[in-house]
Amino acid sequence: MREKPLQVLVVEDNAGDVRLLREMFSKEKPGSFELTHLLRMSEAVIHLGKGGVDIVLLDMGLPDGHGLDTVRRVHAAAPGVPVIVLTGLDDEALAAEAMKEGAQDYLIKGQIENRALPRALRHAIERHRMQTETDLIRTDQMKFQDEFLSHVSHELRSPLTAIYQFVTILLDRLAGELNLEQHEYLQIVLRNVKQLQSIINDLLEVTRVQAGKLTVELQCTSVSDAIIYTVNTLQGAATAKGITLSADMDCQLPPVNADPTRVQQILIALVDNAIKFTPTGGAVKVQARVFEEDPGFLLVEVSDTGCGISPDMTERIFEHLYQITDTGQAGRKGLGLGLYISKELVTRQGGKIWVSSEPQTGSHFFFTVPIFSLTSWIGPILMHEKKPGDAIAVLAVEMGSREGWLSPDVRKEMSHLARRIVQQCLRPDTDVLLPNMDPVGVREFFFAVVYTQELGAEVISKRIQRQFRQCQELQPADLTLTVSHSFLAPISRVKSESMETFVEQVVAGIQDRINTIRLQRSI
Amino acid sequence: MSQKTILIVDDDPDVRLGLHVRLKANHYNVIFAVDGMSSIAEARKHKPDLVILDLGLPAGDGFSVMERLKANDSLSLIPVIVVSARDREANMDRALKAGAKAFLQKPVANAELLAVIRKVLGEPALPEKPVVHDLGSL
Repeated sequence: MREKPLQVLVVEDNAGDVRLLREMFSKEKPGSFELTHLLRMSEAVIHLGKGGVDIVLLDMGLPDGHGLDTVRRVHAAAPGVPVIVLTGLDDEALAAEAMKEGAQDYLIKGQIENRALPRALRHAIERHRMQTETDLIRTDQMKFQDEFLSHVSHELRSPLTAIYQFVTILLDRLAGELNLEQHEYLQIVLRNVKQLQSIINDLLEVTRVQAGKLTVELQCTSVSDAIIYTVNTLQGAATAKGITLSADMDCQLPPVNADPTRVQQILIALVDNAIKFTPTGGAVKVQARVFEEDPGFLLVEVSDTGCGISPDMTERIFEHLYQITDTGQAGRKGLGLGLYISKELVTRQGGKIWVSSEPQTGSHFFFTVPIFSLTSWIGPILMHEKKPGDAIAVLAVEMGSREGWLSPDVRKEMSHLARRIVQQCLRPDTDVLLPNMDPVGVREFFFAVVYTQELGAEVISKRIQRQFRQCQELQPADLTLTVSHSFLAPISRVKSESMETFVEQVVAGIQDRINTIRLQRSI
Repeated sequence: MSQKTILIVDDDPDVRLGLHVRLKANHYNVIFAVDGMSSIAEARKHKPDLVILDLGLPAGDGFSVMERLKANDSLSLIPVIVVSARDREANMDRALKAGAKAFLQKPVANAELLAVIRKVLGEPALPEKPVVHDLGSL
């Protein structure tokens, strides 16, 4: 079938093995294979760089290359060329590893049957071609879907903008008085505009999930704030439907390690759903507490007195595009993407989501969020042996906006920039920049734990201030910056004391400093 | 106090009219441009206090408009608010780096748009009143 001979590169330093291979090929039809034989990895890399090789037969023990590294180097030199590794009888485990690195196949020296080699070669090439093709098609499809959805959502948002603008112009009586009936109908249009907008947003979010582009930025944050925000946001919708919406939580909930906007997004989706599926006169309640079964997590519960979900559905409702269809009274429910997105968001933050429900008595949605642990951040650096005499300082960088932030987006962007600057000014091996904390008023906080002397802390503070002044992008925003540091009272580790107790004491000291600074600023 | 002038750059006539009515009701003087090219000419002629800029425009997109405004000494200080239907994730960074004061995603709630405009123009914020038809922050 093939007119040109197949170009086979043999990289093998054992002359006997090469002779055997040549013999095997000699039995094939003349002109079907052409062998090039090289002894060293370095030569092979140069040869592959020139192109024209169809397949590589690779020995994994060469004078200038050994083990999996040889496979990696061949792939780097010629990414599109399939590789078969040649291995000894006792090296099968290594060969299996090589397959994971992308080798198409392996052959055990001394066990290659006569006609098996050319066949293995042809199969490897064919398999490789098919794989490449499938990958290519998949990438193409993903890209197309991505572009298409992004285009569609853009095209949907433009007319939606005009509809929103003019409905609100009418509702605000900017174009004359309205009678009650007209007002009511326009409210219906507006409600549908909002619904459409949230569907477009969900669609885009799902595309991001599938493209692996969903961003989750973990920080030390409060779940209570997210719950209060959600209840306030959806109180109107609940009241309009005659449903009581309430929150109930311990006043001393520990902070969590999560993305605050994502936690809000999950809560909004769950509470919004609960309101949708609960009849007038019902109740929706949001609760949060430390998870009894796993005290490293907070448990958040959204319960309703709605129509419930039958037990066989409780897994499926988190699936992509799944919708409960047989409940007449709830009316339209959108695309059913909210729970799917929520599950993705919860999982990405290290938690779990599930539902327990009985039809007709209501549903309880649960999700968990990891509790923030300062110890896990500072522990490793404390375990490390330090220069004696160095003390631990808590460095606080506060960035505020003189005029107040223009929008949450601008604030986030500036906060990213600032964080990067602080990180660059710290020493990577001894200092730890703690995750972002919830802001206090107009202030963004960055805390770092620094192992140093008084002089060292001052040097770092000055460096941060200088870098801020020099940052082009931060200049127009008219920001204020304060850098301060304070040393912990020396905590000496008593020999008899366990490392854990020592770390606990230091962490408590650091936590105390952070709390004090945040409290001072909030007054 | 004299009226502030806002230049609206958007190729969609409906959106232009909608913004016009809304901004006029809030006592702003409004002028328009429909593409990248004419927006620079309008800015030069009227020296607006603020530009509300769409990104997808014929004859030079929003980014090139910002570039040209920044490059012109007499226009470089005019603040720009980008209001676009394009995806926030992909465009906000770039817009802020190009010098925009804020990136607002269409459809933007009236209350939010007006609050950002007032802040950028250095006007005191309006007392908060219950929002009847905010788009919410989904």
